[in-house]
Amino acid sequence: MSEDMQKRTEFIAPSDEGAPLDIGRRPGVQGEVTAVPPGPGPSALLSIRGVSKHFGPVKAVDNISLDVYPQEVVGLIGDNGAGKSTFLSLLTGYYRADEGTFLYKGKPVSITSPRESRNKLRIEMIYQQLQLARDLTVWENMFLGEEIRLFGFISDRRSMRKRAAEVLERLNSKIRPNDLLGSLSGGEQQIVAIGRAILFDRDIILMDEPTAAISAAKVDDLLQLVRDLKELGKTVVLVSHRLEDILAVSDGVAVLVLGRLHCVVPNENLTISDLVHLMFGGDTQAVSSEQTLAAARWRMRHAIAEGGS
Amino acid sequence: MATAVVSHEHGLSWSRAGRVLGGNPGSVRRPVAFLVVAIIASTIASPSFLTVGNIKALLTSSSFLIVLASGEAFVVLMGMIDLGVESMLSCAGMVAAWLVVFHGFAGWEGFLCAIAFGMIVGGAVGMLVTRVRVPSFVVTLGTYWGLLGVALLFNGGNYISPSQGSHVSFSFGGIANSTFGISNLIFIMVGVVVVAQLVLSYTPVGLWVRAVGSNEQAGKAVGLSTRNLKVMAFVISGSLAALAGVMITAWQVSIYPTSGSGMSLQAIAGVILGGIPFSGGRGTVVGAAIGALVIGVINDIIVLVGLSSNYEYIFVAAVLILAGLQARGGEFVK
Repeated sequence: MSEDMQKRTEFIAPSDEGAPLDIGRRPGVQGEVTAVPPGPGPSALLSIRGVSKHFGPVKAVDNISLDVYPQEVVGLIGDNGAGKSTFLSLLTGYYRADEGTFLYKGKPVSITSPRESRNKLRIEMIYQQLQLARDLTVWENMFLGEEIRLFGFISDRRSMRKRAAEVLERLNSKIRPNDLLGSLSGGEQQIVAIGRAILFDRDIILMDEPTAAISAAKVDDLLQLVRDLKELGKTVVLVSHRLEDILAVSDGVAVLVLGRLHCVVPNENLTISDLVHLMFGGDTQAVSSEQTLAAARWRMRHAIAEGGS
Repeated sequence: MATAVVSHEHGLSWSRAGRVLGGNPGSVRRPVAFLVVAIIASTIASPSFLTVGNIKALLTSSSFLIVLASGEAFVVLMGMIDLGVESMLSCAGMVAAWLVVFHGFAGWEGFLCAIAFGMIVGGAVGMLVTRVRVPSFVVTLGTYWGLLGVALLFNGGNYISPSQGSHVSFSFGGIANSTFGISNLIFIMVGVVVVAQLVLSYTPVGLWVRAVGSNEQAGKAVGLSTRNLKVMAFVISGSLAALAGVMITAWQVSIYPTSGSGMSLQAIAGVILGGIPFSGGRGTVVGAAIGALVIGVINDIIVLVGLSSNYEYIFVAAVLILAGLQARGGEFVK
């Protein structure tokens, strides 16, 4: 096996029966890529192993295994019905997986509710239709469900307002904690949603079509915010139909096809047509990038090790 | 083109003026403005309106409706409705009176049993709405008729009064007595409103109630048990309606199966007048209480000026339409 191929085995791969995996058997994906081990990838923040979700006879998510690493932006793409939303819902605990396991920093965790997802996987989800309450203030939205309390049952409004103001300032926003959410623009509401992730120090931020509800002029601001989140040490999983957004900020791109993880490719020299090609089950070797994200990670980690940082 | 610009600017200025006078939608400033207008109009119509004696009588006779509206506020804040509060009021009053008069219960025991009855029925309504997914309008229309039917059964459709028992009083712990010249019913009413508002504004549960009313999905997304919160709202509404039932029994020193007649819609009108929209999410219990008080003022002034009580419904209808307009905020002029 060539060195390049060996590096590929470090990452990804769906299979019919869980690990060991063999994506070489799948039509359209060539190479000797064999498998990821059933355990977590080295230094992976979140490892997803063989996760499936069925709705009756429909396999919305079919045996997906994926590692997510600290401080990276992963683009998640797929055609309508590819299973992106269901996959995110499994991560957030909105749905329970029929099969498969989640490992957070190598330790298996069970996820049965959104609260568990936030607390055990350190995940914050930012929905396409922002799941915020228009009639509440900004600070109330940011702390909803995780209020700071006095004596266990009184809301510590002053502390919450203060902390919300600090986070908004950190995000370079002019939004005030007492502003009514309904008075904010779509982009500002995104910032409030992202503020929750910063506030509670989530490790992973899932963003579902974040640019769908904001004006074109604000898209660049949002993409810069994604880069800033990465700089703050966060991992971002970005779902978007706007492939140019994916290419603008992602370190790697995971492609879902009909509920399965088709491939993961590093965002090196990728083009929109490459992504479209992959979204419809195309051959990974046909894309202009010849390296996998696993290879890129391998290089990155070795560079860090050699650099001693 | 010029006309369009002018009308747009005109609209904005009206909108701004509305916001300055009445605050944001849901603000307590709006029902306060209604109350001030009602008081000024009533004082002009009858100088005897603004006397200490009349104000005390007004607050006492409005206390039942205000307590009902406080419970109803939690339900409407969550985007639901409770049409059955008036029947709950009558039925709980009948429960307390029946236990005291015919079964020898102490007054406080009858009181507690009536409250427990309200909580249990409220919980059952909440379960039907959340677990069986029957719309709250339908379920509480059922309790409206059902509880009225139960109330009629207690004494063969007749009222219950202490004279039907031996050595019985309807003081229920002296709740209708006076302290410092003010009826205890007023203290109870103020206590209910203050506690309910504190819960809504200063506890996580209050925040959750408003959040679920504003966007249920937002509550679910952060892991709130939206179903339990809805059940809780009906338990609060049921128990406060039962409290109002015992209060009215103590005040009237008797209870009729139809004592609460018409009060459900008045409580809902008070809530809407108080700034809580049918869609829920915003508004205050204090606002709902003031809205209920405005209806009490209308009832009072009709009596003071010697109009037939038949006019009451027309006045309440007019006020309700006004309330509907104000619930739309300043936007209706755009």
